[in-house]
Amino acid sequence: MKVVTGVVGNDIHVVANRLMELSLHARGYEVFNLGVNTHLEEFFDAVVETGAEILLISSLNGEAEGWSREVRMLKAKYKDLDNLVMMIGGNLTVGAGKADEIEKKYKKYGFDLVCHQVDLNTGLDSLEAFLAQRN
Amino acid sequence: MSLLSEEREIILSNEYVDAFDFEEVEEFVKSASKELFISHHFKNKSKNKGKMLVQPRGGFPTYKQQFALYEFFVDANVDVLPLTIDSNTRLNDYGTAQKMLRLSEENDMDMLNGYPLVNHGYRTTRKMITHFNKPVSLRHGTPDARLLIETAIASGIFEIEGGPITYLLPYSKNFPLDKAFLYWKYVERVCANYSKLNQPINRESFGPLTATLVPPSITIVIQLLEMMLSLEEGVKSFSVSFSQQGSMLQDIVTGAVIKKMAKHYAEQIGCSDASIHLVYHQWMGAFPTNKDYAEQLINMSTVIASMVGADKIITKTREEATGIPTKEANAKTVADTQYTLRILNGLPNVVDEQEEEILTQEVSAIMEAVFNDPADTLWRKIFNSIKNGIIDVPFSPHIINRNEMITIRDANKNIRIIDRGNVPIPEHCFAFEKSHCDLNKDTTSIVNDIIHDIGIMQ
Repeated sequence: MKVVTGVVGNDIHVVANRLMELSLHARGYEVFNLGVNTHLEEFFDAVVETGAEILLISSLNGEAEGWSREVRMLKAKYKDLDNLVMMIGGNLTVGAGKADEIEKKYKKYGFDLVCHQVDLNTGLDSLEAFLAQRN
Repeated sequence: MSLLSEEREIILSNEYVDAFDFEEVEEFVKSASKELFISHHFKNKSKNKGKMLVQPRGGFPTYKQQFALYEFFVDANVDVLPLTIDSNTRLNDYGTAQKMLRLSEENDMDMLNGYPLVNHGYRTTRKMITHFNKPVSLRHGTPDARLLIETAIASGIFEIEGGPITYLLPYSKNFPLDKAFLYWKYVERVCANYSKLNQPINRESFGPLTATLVPPSITIVIQLLEMMLSLEEGVKSFSVSFSQQGSMLQDIVTGAVIKKMAKHYAEQIGCSDASIHLVYHQWMGAFPTNKDYAEQLINMSTVIASMVGADKIITKTREEATGIPTKEANAKTVADTQYTLRILNGLPNVVDEQEEEILTQEVSAIMEAVFNDPADTLWRKIFNSIKNGIIDVPFSPHIINRNEMITIRDANKNIRIIDRGNVPIPEHCFAFEKSHCDLNKDTTSIVNDIIHDIGIMQ
């Protein structure tokens, strides 16, 4: 399966992004890593270009909250993205916040899977469970 | 008009810049106190077998704050003062820097993470530098530092950190690397020209890179190449550097190899008249949030720097994990480090010939591959080598970096290469590196090991 991934916004935190690429690769995914400092449009453009089935956005400085509000609107501009699995993970808020409330909020923004401060492998396990259930 | 002066005019045509009086600047440099030149202190140090120079980090938005910071440092018996530049200036956004400087001055609140030197200008800044009469080191992270360096030298700052590779690969995603090489060529020439007037301007490379599991072979290669690019343009005083890696032995081996090879490659390009120094950075990775532990770590770094035989040490503070340190915490580190250096006597001479030999062969092989690139100039050879992965910096965010090399720590916390990507590490060296690691693990546990290895000091 093809995955597009990257860090959203003006966020240069690169370490987890590289580890994510390694882990996804080890789990058998074909990874298209856009790296750090990636804008929302670039994610969707890459999904269309590669024909990816999964979009996995990450954030460390919490900027995701600002960007994610535009996800539904932007996604609607692209054709044929209805089956795209949308996942977001990392540190999803600036300052402190309750995980369940954060999850609710991001699901409303259009994400299927939300991993706020969740360990990398736990997050990827939940992706696999989600995919298995859907098929 | 020469190309250099044409370029100079272009850089200066900018609304935020002082009107430069270059004749006056030349006069100033010519008659400047020798005390302001770190190259002069390095010379004395090697003549008198003097102690390691201690330099903290630090930059505040306003003149007043920077002045107060320097007073604290001088009280703590500092050897070299830092001037750290804010991030807007690093990106040549002098407009935003100006606005944030005003806000900082009017509201008693720091809106910048450093000193906006271009906006303050050289006439103002020079007053501060000459008042303290200590060498000042410019710390920034700027790919296009041409204007910044003209302003720094005119201010009396005679040590310039950075380089086209070390200030780009750890900090930027897509600033064009070829442009960075050309902008830094200008910087080297300006430094070389001013070096003829009084004591040499010292250039220093930034060895820590991403400070995340970078193997010593990659660090050393990049240090040597930036040194060569600098000496090629006529710079006569240069510092190679690296940061604490996590294993005392690996640091000692790295120090021995980098000193030996810097001398070798300087001679090879006919620049043995240049003086080369070694700078050691206290731990640059993630710091413990416990401030007492942070001080223990800092102290240990100082001991290792002494074992390595560094000419200068750059310090951290007990507040590293929490943000930009206060001037009090910053000055405390300086005093503590000076104390440790004073009581640290009778150091043993530790040598590991096998590790040194392996590292030397790795560095030579990568350097050879860079020189064998068919391009016509050194910077183009390096550019191509980074592009095709002969040089690969772990955890660089830059799009040109190959990101194929994988490193982990062995049982003694030495950084070892387990996937060399396209880096020409010789077969037997690679086998040696791998022989220290457990390679039967699956990727999931290797990723977990890497996470642990990055955070060993926390």
